[in-house]
Amino acid sequence: MGAEVDHVSPMGMSGGSAEVNDKSEGLRFSCKNKLTALVVDNGGVCRVIQTALLRSYGVETEAVETGEAAVELIASGATFNLIIIEMLLPVLNGPETARQIRAMGAQSKILGITAFFDERDQQEFLAAGADEFIEKPLSLEIVIPIIRELDN
Amino acid sequence: MERNQMRRQLALMRQSFFDQGFLDEQFIQLEELQDDANPNFVEEVVTLYYRDSSRLILNIDQALERNPLDFNKLDNYMHQFKGSSTSIGAKKVKAECTQFREYCKAGNSEGCMRTFQQLKKEYAILKRKLEAYFQQARQAGPLETACRSRN
Repeated sequence: MGAEVDHVSPMGMSGGSAEVNDKSEGLRFSCKNKLTALVVDNGGVCRVIQTALLRSYGVETEAVETGEAAVELIASGATFNLIIIEMLLPVLNGPETARQIRAMGAQSKILGITAFFDERDQQEFLAAGADEFIEKPLSLEIVIPIIRELDN
Repeated sequence: MERNQMRRQLALMRQSFFDQGFLDEQFIQLEELQDDANPNFVEEVVTLYYRDSSRLILNIDQALERNPLDFNKLDNYMHQFKGSSTSIGAKKVKAECTQFREYCKAGNSEGCMRTFQQLKKEYAILKRKLEAYFQQARQAGPLETACRSRN
């Protein structure tokens, strides 16, 4: 049959909505090249989940709590294919973090992420050098195309 | 209780969380991240969520006692709260977060306080349900992790 993947729980029950079952891209794959990512989020839960999600696709992922830590990391020479930055960070906010990272010449794909989508925040983030801006959660629909794009 | 029966009950419990709108697909995302390398991922993340959130709730409670309310501060707390609630698939809690934020933006103190009471209720209900779920899962014994089958 087609590429459609049926999501089956341990209990033998289909989980979730038609949307979930329709994920032809849901099949776990591992990226061909060594991809690296950095997650910048002051919330532990979001850091853990986003990191696990990326790692499950073979992306070597690190996570930091603050914009300053992200900037420091990159200033020290670390490079990442993908950097995911939360909008509302204390001290150095998301856009400012992106700005400083870009100012250092980083070519990474930068994804701004937020709990509450706001057009002004989007403008600010994109103007600061982010490539995209999305509302949480970091879903497969977002992650998979990005990984594929970076992998090619 | 017989193991198969326990597992059937567990499955029904889990399905009820989705049917009754307590959890959304994002929870399934977490389940998919659980595997042999991370056998307790879901429970660990949920535990982390309740631990981190309890601090946020305390902060928001205190902030709501101020007069006048600092809506900007409240908005920032709620931003983090919504982010983590969304990430674990806590559907009803997430809805209350959104409602709270609307009242913040409108500078509506009464609305904020009312909504936060409701949020705490939903939060507590979900916590009880998930705790019972994980406890039963442990009793039912180790399960194969969520697997995908191709049709």
